[in-house]
Amino acid sequence: MEHCQNCKCNEKHDYTLLAPVMEEYAKVPGSLITILQHAQEIYGYLPTDVLWHIAEETGIKPAKVLGVATFYTQFRFKPVGKYLILLCCGTACHVNGAKKIEETICEELGIKDGDTTDDGLFSLKVVACLGCCSLSPVMMINDETYGSLTPDKVKKILKELREKSEAENK
Amino acid sequence: MKIVIGQGSCGIAAGAGKIYDYLKENTSFAEISITGCIGMCYLEPIVDVIDDGKKRTYCKVSADILPEFSKALEEKNFDSEILKKYELKDEDREFLEKQTRIALRNCGIINPESIDDYIEAGGYKALTKVLGEMTPEQVIDVIKTSGLAGRGGAGFPTWFKWNAARQSQSEQKYLICNADEGDPGAFMDRAVIESDPHNLIEGMLIGAYAIGASEAVVYVRAEYPLAIVRLTNAIKQAEERGFLGENIAGSGFSCKMRIKAGAGAFVCGEETALIESLEGQRGMPRLKPPFPAQKGYWQQPSNINNVETFANVAWILANGGEAFAAMGTEDSKGTKVFALTGKIKRGGLVEIPMGKTLRDVIYDIGGGIRNDKEFKAVQMGGPSGGCIPTELLDTVIDYKKLSATGAIMGSGGMVVMDETTCMVDMARFFLDFTTKESCGKCIHCRIGTKRMLEILNRIVNGEGRDGDIELLEELCLTIKDGALCGLGQTAPNPVLTTIKYFRNEYEAHIYDKKCPAGHCASLITYQIDPDKCRGCTLCARQCPVGAISGKVKEPHVIDTEKCIKCGKCKESCKFGAIHV
Amino acid sequence: MSIHFKINNIEVEAEAGELLINVAKRYGVDIPSLCHNEKVKSYGACGVCVVESAKGGKLMRSCSTEVGPQFEGMEICTESDRVVRARKVALELLMTDHTGDCRPPCMLECPAHTDCQGYVGLIANGYAEEAVKLIMEKIPLPASIGRVCPHPCEKACRRAALEEPVSIANLKRFAADVNLEKGKDAYKPAIAAETGKKVAVIGGGPAGLTAAASLRAKGHTVEVFDMMPEMGGMLRYGIPEYRLPKAVVAEEVALLESMGIAMHNNIKIGEGEYTLEKMSAEYDAVIVAIGAWTSSKMRIPGEELAGVMGGIDFLREINLGNIPNIGKKVVIVGGGNTAMDACRSAVRAGADEVYTLYRRTRAEMPAEQVEIDEAEEEGVIFKFLCNPVEIIGENGKAVKVKAQKMMLGEPDASGRRAPVPIEGEFDIIDVDTVIMAIGQGCNVKGFESLELTRKNTVVADENTYTTSIEGVFACGDITNRGPGIAIAAIAEAQKAAVAAHEYMMSGSVPTIVKNEDNAFYSKRPLTKEDVKEEYAFRGTEERVPMKHRLAEERKGDFNEFMKGFSRAEAEKEAARCLECGCLDYYECRLIDYANRYDVKPERIGGYKHKRADMKVRSEYFTRDTDKCILCGLCVRACEEVTGRGVLGLVDRGFDTTVQPAMGLPLNQADCMSCGLCVSVCPTGALTENMNGMKAVPLPENMFVHKCTMCSAGCDMMISHYGNAITKAVPMGGKNADVLCERGRFVLPERFTMGNAMEAVQKAFGKILKSGAMSAGKIGVLISASCTEKQVNNILSFTAAIMPAFVASNSMGKPIPEKYRASVEFAAIKNGKATSIDELTIGVNDEILKKAGVTMLNEQQKAKIESGEIETLFVFGDDICDIDTSKVKNTEIVRIEF
Repeated sequence: MEHCQNCKCNEKHDYTLLAPVMEEYAKVPGSLITILQHAQEIYGYLPTDVLWHIAEETGIKPAKVLGVATFYTQFRFKPVGKYLILLCCGTACHVNGAKKIEETICEELGIKDGDTTDDGLFSLKVVACLGCCSLSPVMMINDETYGSLTPDKVKKILKELREKSEAENK
Repeated sequence: MKIVIGQGSCGIAAGAGKIYDYLKENTSFAEISITGCIGMCYLEPIVDVIDDGKKRTYCKVSADILPEFSKALEEKNFDSEILKKYELKDEDREFLEKQTRIALRNCGIINPESIDDYIEAGGYKALTKVLGEMTPEQVIDVIKTSGLAGRGGAGFPTWFKWNAARQSQSEQKYLICNADEGDPGAFMDRAVIESDPHNLIEGMLIGAYAIGASEAVVYVRAEYPLAIVRLTNAIKQAEERGFLGENIAGSGFSCKMRIKAGAGAFVCGEETALIESLEGQRGMPRLKPPFPAQKGYWQQPSNINNVETFANVAWILANGGEAFAAMGTEDSKGTKVFALTGKIKRGGLVEIPMGKTLRDVIYDIGGGIRNDKEFKAVQMGGPSGGCIPTELLDTVIDYKKLSATGAIMGSGGMVVMDETTCMVDMARFFLDFTTKESCGKCIHCRIGTKRMLEILNRIVNGEGRDGDIELLEELCLTIKDGALCGLGQTAPNPVLTTIKYFRNEYEAHIYDKKCPAGHCASLITYQIDPDKCRGCTLCARQCPVGAISGKVKEPHVIDTEKCIKCGKCKESCKFGAIHV
Repeated sequence: MSIHFKINNIEVEAEAGELLINVAKRYGVDIPSLCHNEKVKSYGACGVCVVESAKGGKLMRSCSTEVGPQFEGMEICTESDRVVRARKVALELLMTDHTGDCRPPCMLECPAHTDCQGYVGLIANGYAEEAVKLIMEKIPLPASIGRVCPHPCEKACRRAALEEPVSIANLKRFAADVNLEKGKDAYKPAIAAETGKKVAVIGGGPAGLTAAASLRAKGHTVEVFDMMPEMGGMLRYGIPEYRLPKAVVAEEVALLESMGIAMHNNIKIGEGEYTLEKMSAEYDAVIVAIGAWTSSKMRIPGEELAGVMGGIDFLREINLGNIPNIGKKVVIVGGGNTAMDACRSAVRAGADEVYTLYRRTRAEMPAEQVEIDEAEEEGVIFKFLCNPVEIIGENGKAVKVKAQKMMLGEPDASGRRAPVPIEGEFDIIDVDTVIMAIGQGCNVKGFESLELTRKNTVVADENTYTTSIEGVFACGDITNRGPGIAIAAIAEAQKAAVAAHEYMMSGSVPTIVKNEDNAFYSKRPLTKEDVKEEYAFRGTEERVPMKHRLAEERKGDFNEFMKGFSRAEAEKEAARCLECGCLDYYECRLIDYANRYDVKPERIGGYKHKRADMKVRSEYFTRDTDKCILCGLCVRACEEVTGRGVLGLVDRGFDTTVQPAMGLPLNQADCMSCGLCVSVCPTGALTENMNGMKAVPLPENMFVHKCTMCSAGCDMMISHYGNAITKAVPMGGKNADVLCERGRFVLPERFTMGNAMEAVQKAFGKILKSGAMSAGKIGVLISASCTEKQVNNILSFTAAIMPAFVASNSMGKPIPEKYRASVEFAAIKNGKATSIDELTIGVNDEILKKAGVTMLNEQQKAKIESGEIETLFVFGDDICDIDTSKVKNTEIVRIEF
């Protein structure tokens, strides 16, 4: 099956990148989630044609592969921006005003939870708990954690990243 | 001299990583080393300095003071103004001293990336003793005497589970560690794995030996990358030292261990959903019976315990069950780790023996409420737990007593709330969480939680109707009755407890269209008190929608139509002239 | 070792390991369950099968709880309060997110809830004979009602948004006429075993006769008493001949009489020896259905003059055969159907000038639009905004009508705009006769002992139609709000009959009787635009007009002017039905349980999914995600039983859906069209398309059958309604888990329960008329699936038309390419073959050979494809590899079972 349904990008992906992972896990029962995690690491998200390839290689039914992939929130079916913002809305963060931080980010970037900015720079994903509640409200951007946020601090961080990215592009 | 920097996730997030890199480069006068998370999150980043046998702890060490700080250390000028300023205060020292640490005994002390540190602190002694001198039945007996119960929240006697798994006949058994820790507001399992991974390995191996399992799996949530790195490293070291893999410590007992990363599903904290996830399936809970002890992972006998449960095992085997049983209450033995967060002055990890009261933890150790506001309630057990009000602050921490309040012990998340927190909104928050995390298998949970959320949304948006409370109560009872797994059966608890203790707030939202805590946007109107207002115009400048008008030095007025209730004016007003 | 415990106080014994739900079933205790099916492992999702131990503790899911030693001496309750509450809330929650029309708007709108979609569908599939059986479950006088009913069903019909509603009333008439044409062996409801109870029905109108027929069918002895010389009530005496011929009423009454109902005419209760008290003493139950026979008075001066009469009195006289001398100029007062009947009858009774006065305007007239137009065509002059205030008489006889001119004021409570007099403006009309058709009232003489309303009608309970006297029931125009349309009277009669039956058999009437009025249905309120969008794929088909006599010719006599549909017209019109009602209504467990536990989902409410892929049609079935209750049966059956794993769950929690692999259409997703998922689906989320005929939701009954669609001969269950085959499903159990697409979907089109030769005569008759009869122009193909009897029948019959050839296209032939994969999959799965090559289409080739039938040879095939053959009869055979595009008439004739 050539075209891919969900992300509608219609290109075929380079499966050789996935070969080492398939080598190790394709025939190991119960490793579908691990394979998907590696695939997302390689391609940045899970394109449908890659899901088809995984189904063919492992012998797991395509419906089952899609079922597992869509069950877990870690997996994405659309490419993400350069900076993936994980905003924590766990109990402690909620109590300390995570809602206001979310509103600030959405205002600032003009996107809402689950979207990516048009320039492909930022993606926002509201998550349940990052496990550093004492710094609440807290967010992670590409493995970098920012704690004790206030609306102003958030605006500053986003501005810095935007400038840093523009600097890199030059 | 030796300088040790706390490198738990929180510490790194607070800047400990930069401190380590700076000191590593610019100091030659001392040995630089790392440790895990001591559990005093509000003081991060934390640096310990050991000089000829004396340890001094420095807190909130920010990057900009490093040059002056390291110079003072080099000169061992411990009384200098800089060192005195950042040294650990006495009342903060109490935060640790009032605790009794067993599961967290090595956390923030030893270097999590060095097996030698662990062995030096007495590590793997219990394992060698068990494998050398004890039979599986004897091990289970010690655990039975210790009274150790499940620290994941259910509080099921650990010996009973091990015994059931041991009695199941099969040549392939599994020992599984539940490190999913999906409860928002709980992070003690992460602290244990990041700071003392070997303790977990040792505890698990003792468990594996007890039930006769030859394979152990640690199911860690995807959101804990550092924990996975440190545990992977520890497993490699344990294998190299012969504590893991074939013929452990020459005892003939073999057990291999691997890590399986979760992929973002709170329901996988439920043991059968966890097993489905291990088998590469959708995390949909299975029917019980059969219990995992009979038919678990790949339908083989499997035993599942929480990280904190395993973290106590090595200590118990080393010090004997009686020592552990001496602590705690009549039916809840040993210690429990709590993640104290929310509106608390001193937030962090608190391990205390069962029997202490909530007041002890929140006030004695936690230092009470931030900005000395009014305590309102403490939420325990996350989305499966409930809110415990002021009048029950003296409830003893004990599985039975806590369940009697309607909340549950849970994994240890303890979120403290003050008068600015709206209890109806808290119930809404938890239902919003469980609706998103429900696996969708059972009608009661899949649709029931959604409908309860819609009713709570209505109430919070000022559209609450007469009869909503009674309908919520009916749905709560039937969902508890009809749901298949723990998630669905406990999802109603946050609603039931907030109704039980804060029914008046629900009624205020529904009938008076008022939010007593001043939190729910559509039910509050911001007003300026003309007597208190000095006309300093700060609020007018802060207001994003220009809803505040008035001349300098004259009382200002808020246009309630334009006001979007963002609360910036109230936050910035120095004279407390704005109220809800 | 066996374990002893109790279920609902029944002592039960079970082996360890047996599922609790199966133990209960063995002892006749039906525990409801949605996600359980013997074909697949227990799943324990829906929580509807929960039961409780008397000792309390957690509720147990009976579908997955295995009996064990701990059950010894336990007491299980399957309907305790706590269990019922958990079950009811589960069903209510499901219903808050279930989008579908359990029953079609036409059926719901009909006061008697006749199954319009059912009988229209049957007619469309050529089963008019079955249609009348379905109609007569509710209406014992279908031919009469089919002609006169103002058809509220058509007002609700969604087809109105595309072009015009389906012509339901005329189709009902068609089916009834087809039945009456059979004379003495016309269908009539079967009679249950005699109960020995006696019922007296007072009043032989539509209400009385319906109650009589319904109670007779239940096995009671029934006697009907009526004051008029003939039975029929308003149908006979209130409606003119041109709308409802007396002969039709008489034929239908005779049919009821042949059921053993005693008819006594010219008897007035309350006069002479028959009194209500005597009747209720002598009979076990009495049904008062005396209708509304008094014409309402206008209470204006001059009303008593000669030449002034009531509307229904005028019509009664005509129907009694003595047309009154009404002279040349007649004025009718009133705007309802009775007024229309009166003015059109006046034209036929010889009047030259007929005026109809109505105090509002045309738009507000309650009469049917088509009636008003037809009256105008016949020369009736309408005077609107005109209200008679006085009838002026000369020596005792009416000569002039003085009418007040009106104008329309503000709308009143019912939305109609109240007429307001214009001061001093009058209209004087010369008249010979004045007929007042402004309404009817009831005459309760003889029934004063019953509790009455202010309007002199009998007070009757709106659910059971009991009256103030025990054992006496009342229905029709006589009750509560008084006169209404005939079908409303019939609806009341059905409910009264049910209550009377219950009363006679058990001695008391239940407080609430469950029926279609108080049942719960899932409904979809669609706007015109919604309908246009959703049913656009059906294209446009104009409504088939009913042939009728033109105004000039018809106004001269009282003969019937509507001719009725021919079979072809009826089938064409019936095909227009959009099949709004859910096709799985009679199989759906959800609606069954929803009503068993009286769900009230509206008290919970909340967001309802409205997914884009609402009705996804694949070749053989339709997937409707908004009806899916996520029981997972289809996913599990496709995984555990067939091993194909084509369907899977996608996403999580409230928004989970079932999708084929990667959301692909089914035929690209490795689906073998075995239809197992459709069979196990407990709701209408997956339904069969039944290509080649209309899928119709009908109460089915089943029988076991060995499939004859190829030589594998798999075991299956055929479900049918009368002669109409509705479905073929796998029998289940050992070696019968699946069917291939031929057995599952093609077989139902090919076979009939009825007499196949009848179908041939109809088809044969049609060809005669079409003039394609010349020799050598007819070809006959006979399938190798026919029985010997059928082959001989067909041969003896077709010989008379000297066909060019009689051949078979299936003897010994391999399975056609289109079906190979599916047939191989099912045959191997059922252990009937090891590979596709062992199988042939023909099942009993020997029979054909013995009868001299040979395989279709090349020239015969060429004759078909060149168009030389103008008519091709296909008796259940496979045409698939022959090009019949050039054949003028290809007549697919079903084979008899």
